[in-house]
Amino acid sequence: MREEEFEIVGARDWQFQGPQDRKPARDAKERRQQRRILLTWGVFLLILLGCLLGGLFIDRDPAYMDLAHCSVPPCKEFLFGTDEMGRDLFAMVWHGGRISLFIGGVSTLISTGIAVIFGAVSGSAPKWADTLMMRLTEILLSVPGLLTVVLFQAVLGKATVGSISIVIGITSWMSIAKVVRTEVRRLRGSEYIIASKCMGGGFFHVLWKHLTPNFMPAILFMVVMNIRNAIIAESTLSFMGLGLPVQVVSWGSMLSLAEKALLTNLWWVILIPGMFLLVTLLCITQIGNDLRKSVNRRHSNL
Amino acid sequence: MLKWGKKLLFFLFYLFLLSVLVFVISRLSPGDPLVSYYGERAEKMDAQEREWAENRLGLRDPIPVQYVRWLENALQGDFGISYKYKMDAAEVIRGRIGNTLLLGGSGFLLIFFLALWLGVFCAWYEGRWVDRAICSLGTVTSCIPEFWLSLVFILIFAVNLKWLPSSGAYSVGKAEDVGDRLWHLILPLSIVVMTHLWYYAYMIRNKLLEEVRADYVLLAKSKGLKRSKVMVKHCLRNVMPSYFSIMAIAVPHILGGTYIVETVFSYPGIGTLSYESARYKDYNLLMLLCILSGALVLLCNLAAQAINERIDPRLKAGEFLKEPGVEDEGRGV
Amino acid sequence: MNEEILLDVKHLSHVFSLSKKVRIQAVDDVSFQIRRGEIVGLVGESGSGKSTVARCVMNVYRPKEGEIFYKGINLCDRKEFREHKRMLQSKRQFIFQDSDSALNQRMKVWEIIAEPMKIQHVTPPRGTLRAEAEFQMHLVGLDAGYLDKYPPELSGGQRQRVAIARALAMEPELLVADEPIASLDVSIQAQIVNLFKQLQRQHGFSILFIAHDLAMVEFLCDRVGVMHHGKLVEMAPVKELFEAPRHPYTRSLISAIPIPDPKRERARKTGKEMDKEWMDA
Repeated sequence: MREEEFEIVGARDWQFQGPQDRKPARDAKERRQQRRILLTWGVFLLILLGCLLGGLFIDRDPAYMDLAHCSVPPCKEFLFGTDEMGRDLFAMVWHGGRISLFIGGVSTLISTGIAVIFGAVSGSAPKWADTLMMRLTEILLSVPGLLTVVLFQAVLGKATVGSISIVIGITSWMSIAKVVRTEVRRLRGSEYIIASKCMGGGFFHVLWKHLTPNFMPAILFMVVMNIRNAIIAESTLSFMGLGLPVQVVSWGSMLSLAEKALLTNLWWVILIPGMFLLVTLLCITQIGNDLRKSVNRRHSNL
Repeated sequence: MLKWGKKLLFFLFYLFLLSVLVFVISRLSPGDPLVSYYGERAEKMDAQEREWAENRLGLRDPIPVQYVRWLENALQGDFGISYKYKMDAAEVIRGRIGNTLLLGGSGFLLIFFLALWLGVFCAWYEGRWVDRAICSLGTVTSCIPEFWLSLVFILIFAVNLKWLPSSGAYSVGKAEDVGDRLWHLILPLSIVVMTHLWYYAYMIRNKLLEEVRADYVLLAKSKGLKRSKVMVKHCLRNVMPSYFSIMAIAVPHILGGTYIVETVFSYPGIGTLSYESARYKDYNLLMLLCILSGALVLLCNLAAQAINERIDPRLKAGEFLKEPGVEDEGRGV
Repeated sequence: MNEEILLDVKHLSHVFSLSKKVRIQAVDDVSFQIRRGEIVGLVGESGSGKSTVARCVMNVYRPKEGEIFYKGINLCDRKEFREHKRMLQSKRQFIFQDSDSALNQRMKVWEIIAEPMKIQHVTPPRGTLRAEAEFQMHLVGLDAGYLDKYPPELSGGQRQRVAIARALAMEPELLVADEPIASLDVSIQAQIVNLFKQLQRQHGFSILFIAHDLAMVEFLCDRVGVMHHGKLVEMAPVKELFEAPRHPYTRSLISAIPIPDPKRERARKTGKEMDKEWMDA
């Protein structure tokens, strides 16, 4: 029987293009995707390495105020220009990135840790305790995030890199905890968990061996997004004068000078650190999205 | 009826807990509320003067006593005075809330309709270059920190092009001029919309794409319905209820987003106010603001819950459908 | 057979409260005993409370009424249970109906088999946990090549073998098997039942075998209990039960077993009809 004899009619015809025409299209799509993943990781690693190792190659001290060269626009000597205090933006960007990324990472570790333990306890607790714990998270979620951060910041005293990480960490675990709790509630009736308990597995054994690997895919995307949100939170706080002081260089504290820079129209002081921030955030988001996609794909294959 | 009574009770209980939480945390944190009341004079006070001032504001009593006093007054509708503005906290907020509601409300409506339109548009052209371009652009805009986008917009449109004003809600002396107020609204509003829009549009797009792959679409198509009709009459209709419930939760989210924008643009609204009050220990104002925003969040959650229950009767019947032994498993072994 | 009583279930009752109004009496005054080395079957339609009995025996559910003694230890007493926890948790093992969900999909086969030893901190007699897992797999008839596979890569029968190997790793005295063959193909069912029989002969443990397939029960068990609506309506040695069932429900269950012989099948049917006619008259 020859193919030409058939004409495909009916509802599916607009989806069906025949195996020959379809394959190259999918290949192209996959290749494009692969290129994008490569690009994201490439840029992200470049920024990461630049921030980590930048200190080795840049001889200028980011904190040094070169009063002879204040507000110099980008030129050969100062690649990214200098700010109003005569600090070299090029050195500052790499140094500041290290602190911003560090805060993002540490606060995410803290919040994920709290979220996993809180969510797992709530998910495996009897109903009344679970309800109580979930109500508590809802109340915490209902306080505007900025206010809680300001309050905690006030409790911890003067802002340092450590205190900011802790504050952002302990104010951003709630939504992950909710997902963990839902997953634990779904998983805890599973027979392998009952089996593990019958064999004498304790809470932490079950949590670490059985629950975590199974809910990890569900929260992985949120965890990556948490890094992003922590970096945004740090920069916003520093910008508003609640976070790191100007002397401690981070992308956020660099931008806290931006409002003054607006008045004098120093565009490079606003745009350059912001662009670095934006590109980093974009890479992290993209990595999160790719992770989510790959996790979903693997899931459906099982 | 009974159900709503129960919900109301829960609601009040939440507000009570929230107020306790905020009260205790704000009092425990270091900082001098007198500074916000007396300004710089507070720093020069001697011990006696301080004691007198603190007694006057009732700051010397133990925290529980202070709280009970606050609660008693609050139940009678008196939320105390703002230290900084020296007038009723409720009064201060009343003067500002209109601005925030204007910014947040118009932002919310814009986001609601634009997201819907954009989501349908992208789902319609799924996988084509328009869709891909919008998706990429959307990812970028949803990554930009609000304050930085505000700065860039001010830099471009206010400082360099001088098209739009960079701060405030109205020009000096033009408080009554509607056109002038709208003029000042453009920049903050476009930032609120830009930073939130894609999140919701993307959600609509993905939900529609899921819907398009369902079997009933094939049936509708085989009946000879037009593609646009299937999309709008069938798919969109199925997506709408969940969109409503998501947008109900989005209300506080978007309002929260206006807080930062307000601060950057020195827009006189609730956002700047709550930031100031937390920073300068304006206790009474802070309490009222927190309770208002907490109430808003809870109301929106309740609304979303009600919408969800209406869409999906299973949720309401949930109590009967639970797998047996849920409560026992926790206790066993 | 040893006369020592291993498990003694006395007047067990359990109620699930689904909501304030809806209650389900899952198990109603069930009593039976299992002797050492005995295979006891529990049959009944789905929803008759067999699994609940098994889960009560394994302390997954706390029964509302009644007592369960394991070698004289009252399992329903929290204090007594806690005192003998370690022994109980290693000497009683549970095998589930659905091997798909009974094994954690994200663990390798050898990790699954070694899990109970790891939890109880047993020093593996064959050196490493992995070697121990390999040994157990050999016992249940699986190649060492499966050690590093994940459960979804195995077939249903292989997964059930892994579950059995995990249970056997602790050298249990009592194996509670909750419909271990219900989710398998008929040909695989026979293999697994044979495996049970062979392993029981080798190790000498007791089995509480729950099933709704009477043919398999007849082949495997020494004694059989029939459950109906939460009650244990009949309990008898297997031969007696199949030859002279006393309870009408048991009779109807047995008559539902297909006989792979057309002549006998027909004879049974006509016999039944004659019974009916006789009753009508």
